[in-house]
Amino acid sequence: MGHVQKRLLSSASRLASVSPSVVPKFPPRDAFIAEDEVARPSFDPELWASLQPAASSALSSFAHRVGLASVISSEDDVRQACTHPSFIEVYRHHYPQEKRIPKSNQQLSALGNSLLGLFATEYLQAKYPYLPTRVQKAALTAHVGPATLASVAQEMGAAPLLKWHRKPETPTSPSVLHADALASIPRSLTALIYKKHSLPYARKFVHSYFLTRQVDHRAMLKFLDPKKALKEMVYRFGREPPKSRLLKETGRFSNSPVFVVGVYSGADKLGEGFGSSLKMAEFRAAEDALHRVFLTHRPEHEIQLPSNTFPTGLGDVFRQGPQGSYEPPELTAAEIRYASSDNSKAAPIRPRRV
Amino acid sequence: MSVLRAQLRSRAANGHAAFLPQIRKLVFEFCTSWPSSHPTRAFLLNSLQPLARANPHVEIVVKERIHKEPIVRGLYVNGRDKVISLKQLEPTGIRKKVDLLLDSSGAKIKPLKSRPVESSTESPRGIWSGLHAPRPNL
Repeated sequence: MGHVQKRLLSSASRLASVSPSVVPKFPPRDAFIAEDEVARPSFDPELWASLQPAASSALSSFAHRVGLASVISSEDDVRQACTHPSFIEVYRHHYPQEKRIPKSNQQLSALGNSLLGLFATEYLQAKYPYLPTRVQKAALTAHVGPATLASVAQEMGAAPLLKWHRKPETPTSPSVLHADALASIPRSLTALIYKKHSLPYARKFVHSYFLTRQVDHRAMLKFLDPKKALKEMVYRFGREPPKSRLLKETGRFSNSPVFVVGVYSGADKLGEGFGSSLKMAEFRAAEDALHRVFLTHRPEHEIQLPSNTFPTGLGDVFRQGPQGSYEPPELTAAEIRYASSDNSKAAPIRPRRV
Repeated sequence: MSVLRAQLRSRAANGHAAFLPQIRKLVFEFCTSWPSSHPTRAFLLNSLQPLARANPHVEIVVKERIHKEPIVRGLYVNGRDKVISLKQLEPTGIRKKVDLLLDSSGAKIKPLKSRPVESSTESPRGIWSGLHAPRPNL
């Protein structure tokens, strides 16, 4: 298939398709052009199609596909979750006489965003206790950020149900793109589950759809000088200073040497690295040692989530009720602040006597 | 090579915790008059409602396609669609094609260049199927 046909296909798939069940009279009255009438604004069929509501069968099938049919029984809720605020202005502009304006998902999206952040943060904190703060923030964005949310909404099949309108960037408001509008749908769904059911169910939804997705945490760890960082970390843990030793080598003075270096603290090997030069191998060994600390994770059955202390059952978090169990974990050593953007003048951290 | 915030995303792992069925809509198009659509009409009258009830995640649409052969079109979440002609198929054959569409992921069929592995022994853990995995019961 040529590139022209591919572009036609992709743009056709992005056009809104209108279900006959939601349109009582077709073609719409605005589409008719009378010869002898005064000049009227031209009819844009794409715009008209994007203003029509989604079919109730589509909304109900969406709720079933996501597994929320029992929780979100009303299709108006699903419709509201799929309506971006950018749609409302355009709707009002084209139907000024219409009294029943569809509800937007702005408030639901804001609530859902907070919930997503809460669940993802507590899970990442519990699972990766040694991950540096900046990396944890990046991991949070990877798990529940706008790009992932847009992907998940697409995979759920919410793209044909989404009601939105593209907005260019203005000095007072940011732009609204397809990804931004799509990202509001999973947020609104999370908020709806919290409102209609309970917090633990909203948490289960977030864990199933967002926190089991694949994220490469190793790629987010970047070191300026891993040897120096490792030295500080070893000092923090109260161990002997790191010493790198050559474990294996081959091809020295040839055009493809390979050196394998291990970094030791006393008798314990902290990390191992390879390289075509001794310095590179040492660098990688220090990096490996730091990765082994930062990427340590608790097994799933040992993870204790603080949101268990919120009352279970129907209702919001402000009500009193029976709490779930929560055992706080042991506090880990504070992260080393070398090569971080923290410029605070706090006292230097003393080594912990283990 | 710094970490750019706009590029931070996760990759899908459909089925690890929750399984999202890939089919979202089935459209049956048939002719009301031509005899070639008669088995399709019989299928729609007898078997369609139980099919819809058994697959609540699929939106089912029935359309008229006058003076043309009957077809069934499956639309998927990856934006692609699969069209199968129901010409010269009896209701059992139609059901088979519909099942094919329901089970498909919508991805383009890529011909395998190498011969697939043939084993004489059964797989010890069974073959995983997302359609038979436990759905999130919320």
